[in-house]
Amino acid sequence: MTSVLRGDTARYIASRVATTLLVIVGAMLLLFALTVLVPGDPASALLGPQATPEYARRFIAEMGLDQPIHVRFFRFFAHLSVGDFGTDVLTGRKVSGIILDVLPYTVILTFGSIGLAVVLGIPLGCLAATRPGTVLDTVLAVGSVAVIAVPGFVVAILLLLVFSIWLDWLPVLGAGRAGDLGDQAVRLILPIVALSIGWVGFIARLVRSSMLDVMGEAYIRTARAYGLPSGMVVFKYALKNACIPTLAVLGLGVGRLLGGAVLVEIVFARPGLGRLVLDAISTRNFPVLQGAVLVVVVLFVMTNLVVDLCYSAIDPRIRRGG
Amino acid sequence: MTAPLLEIRDLHLRAATQRGSAHILRGINLDIGAGRIVGVVGESGSGKSSLALCLLRLLPSNITELSGRMTMAGTELLGLPEAQFAAWRGGRIAMIFQDPMTALNPVFSIGTQLVDVARRRFPALDTKAARARAEAMLGRVGIADPGLRMGAYPHQLSGGMRQRVMIAMALLVQPDLLLADEPTTALDATVEAQIVGLFESLRADFSGSILFISHHLGLVAQLCDDVVVMYGGTVVETGPVGSVCADPRHPYTAALLACELEDAPAENDGSGRLMSIPGDVPDPVVTQAGCVFAPRCALAEAPCEMPQVLRRAPDGRQVACWKAVS
Amino acid sequence: MRSIFRHVAGSGTGLLGLVLVVAIVFAAVTAPWISPYDPDRLDVLHRFAGMSGAHWLGTDHLGRDLLSRLLHGASVAMAVSLLAIAVALSVGTVLGALAAYLPSGQERVILVLFDIISSFPSLVLALVVVAVFGPSTVNVILIVAVTLMPQFGRVARAQVLSVKSAPFLEAEILLGAGWARIFLRHLLPNIAGPLIVLASVEVPVVITVEAGLSFIGLGVRPPLASWGTLIYDGYSYLSDSPLPVVASCITLSLATLGFTLFGEALRDAVDPKRSSVR
Repeated sequence: MTSVLRGDTARYIASRVATTLLVIVGAMLLLFALTVLVPGDPASALLGPQATPEYARRFIAEMGLDQPIHVRFFRFFAHLSVGDFGTDVLTGRKVSGIILDVLPYTVILTFGSIGLAVVLGIPLGCLAATRPGTVLDTVLAVGSVAVIAVPGFVVAILLLLVFSIWLDWLPVLGAGRAGDLGDQAVRLILPIVALSIGWVGFIARLVRSSMLDVMGEAYIRTARAYGLPSGMVVFKYALKNACIPTLAVLGLGVGRLLGGAVLVEIVFARPGLGRLVLDAISTRNFPVLQGAVLVVVVLFVMTNLVVDLCYSAIDPRIRRGG
Repeated sequence: MTAPLLEIRDLHLRAATQRGSAHILRGINLDIGAGRIVGVVGESGSGKSSLALCLLRLLPSNITELSGRMTMAGTELLGLPEAQFAAWRGGRIAMIFQDPMTALNPVFSIGTQLVDVARRRFPALDTKAARARAEAMLGRVGIADPGLRMGAYPHQLSGGMRQRVMIAMALLVQPDLLLADEPTTALDATVEAQIVGLFESLRADFSGSILFISHHLGLVAQLCDDVVVMYGGTVVETGPVGSVCADPRHPYTAALLACELEDAPAENDGSGRLMSIPGDVPDPVVTQAGCVFAPRCALAEAPCEMPQVLRRAPDGRQVACWKAVS
Repeated sequence: MRSIFRHVAGSGTGLLGLVLVVAIVFAAVTAPWISPYDPDRLDVLHRFAGMSGAHWLGTDHLGRDLLSRLLHGASVAMAVSLLAIAVALSVGTVLGALAAYLPSGQERVILVLFDIISSFPSLVLALVVVAVFGPSTVNVILIVAVTLMPQFGRVARAQVLSVKSAPFLEAEILLGAGWARIFLRHLLPNIAGPLIVLASVEVPVVITVEAGLSFIGLGVRPPLASWGTLIYDGYSYLSDSPLPVVASCITLSLATLGFTLFGEALRDAVDPKRSSVR
């Protein structure tokens, strides 16, 4: 029995890891295809029309752009798969180093936001579900739709306007002085709130409706019929079931949040992958752009993998279906 | 005869529905003797399951009235404050539900669910001792290799196995009263026979009383000591199962018995519908002055327009029909 | 149809959504006629004018009338949403229906393609494409369409799978009906409901992505007035006057709120089981 169970789980994990790898390879393929598709001759597209002919020639040779397409293709994959994203066209720095410098800012912002959304959303959803039809429930329902509908970067601008400019409670821009954790934490408040508030509403609403569904299930009646304390019924027996749909959307949520983080970083003038990508686009710095985008995609699919594995840990029925 | 374990007197249950106030239980009177197995039979909609849920005070939120008396071992259950009654659920009263497929939580192993129930009932037990008890109980209800099954999730077990787990859960709390709400209806015929066999074997070591709800009179005759025949939210006849089946005094009991003789039990499709009694069960929204069964009764006469109450015959049996008494 | 309308207008939030949607669509269609000024007319003498009878919402950093620009922004948002969703809907439906009928190996190819597209956070994918092909309104429409396509494809596939083995369809195939007839006459009407609902739910998403891209200068190009560029302009001159940024933010938020409420009310009306708001 147990061995059968382990076999199921192992097969499920293997298939999920395989899909994840496939998606990452697909994303690399797409990124490669885009560099091939760049309209016009690659050097002027990458360097801009001002580049001198000698510089352009040297650049082309350095980047291997004069090689036939299949050679470029294998080179691209060989380098990427060992984590070599190439060299920054403008500064000559290693792209991996540039990305590693700003990565923590984006990771903290994104996962801090997810964390806040979960920590606030689940209790709010439970609160509404245990008092359906009350004023509190209605207020939460209306508030949820409102925060879900308003785009995150608009929230960011309005928060900045109110709390930093009008009220002058919180510092305006940037990520804070290096080494000063307190300052950095304070400057994270508004960006995290802006990025997560929609997801707080979304999760609260999802937990509320799945909680209401679950509370009507026969197994909850069983738990009550055996006199289990109501806290245990709600927070152990019901919540674990009600969290399943929430977990399912969290994977998707990370993707939207990573996208939203780009805008929020720009509004608050924070360093991070968003700023990096935007600067790379405006300077047509392709190696940096490719590297940064690939890191975002890997972050996203790896988070999804982790979410799916948590999902199968919470819901034993998934493991069988595969 | 000793004092009964449970006495129910004039129990009424009303619920608000979209079509108006539904009178689901219309004055139930019944006794359950200590250690007796009492069968409750009736068609779907006769109020059998509602009666069981009343005993646990586990009712939906649209209930507008729950009145009468339910006295168990000297305690009036309906009057108890909720905080005190909570100890009775899964304490002195335990319940087995109709559908074992949905009655167990899908995301916890059955071991976890059994251990939680056992520790709630006996707080002195540590987890290890509770697991040992749960495992022993799984063995007792006929689950092979109980140690391994403790880690299984409900979806890994068959319907019959899940119902055995539910029975184990009920026995684990050592109740004085075990409510079994159509425990075999959702199962197929061979599994049903196994579960009925399990109930029969309980007589050997379970000392409490059992309220066994079924739409199947044959099953009740096989398993129970006493029978309570319900119709339209009332009790129409009670008595020892042998004498009621041999000599039904209420026309409804006689009709039920006739249906049982026509359908061999093996062919019973479990839908609970007895096609051979013409007409439908009474609508709980409609108030009825006279005998609830009169509209479908082949023997109905003018006196049936008067309300019929349960009356005790000299031999101890009770019938709610004027013809039976006179 | 009428009962769906009654259901949408019947709930308070649905009615609010409907009113906002009607107002925005009206503004989008009639913007050239109801705008008090040419949205591109410069008037540098009256920069950052406050609210007044002449300029209801004031003017921006170049003295352009903000109300006129916001009205024209509605046209841009609606046009982008309509076109992007139309492309995503048609391509997605065809691919999804195809996937449902293809043997599992080829079906897998389509599904993995959907997975790969979905594995890019949509805004990031948009950034990459814009980086390569340059910012333009057409690119915004195409890229949004590509990122939405898998969702329509998956819904279409699920719907087709559920009606594919219906007896009436098998009878048609036995009678030798052509693919076009089967798709247009039988499949499409049976799968249209959920797809239309999905399309309406996605409108606020498209509006948000378009505004976001335009906000960082990678979407709709000036001088075309997009809500995103208006917010960016206002944000750049925040210290001069908060009015442009506040007015643009509120307009954009009302639009996304209106379409969200409307889309959800429509979804609940079509499929009460999936109701998430009461």
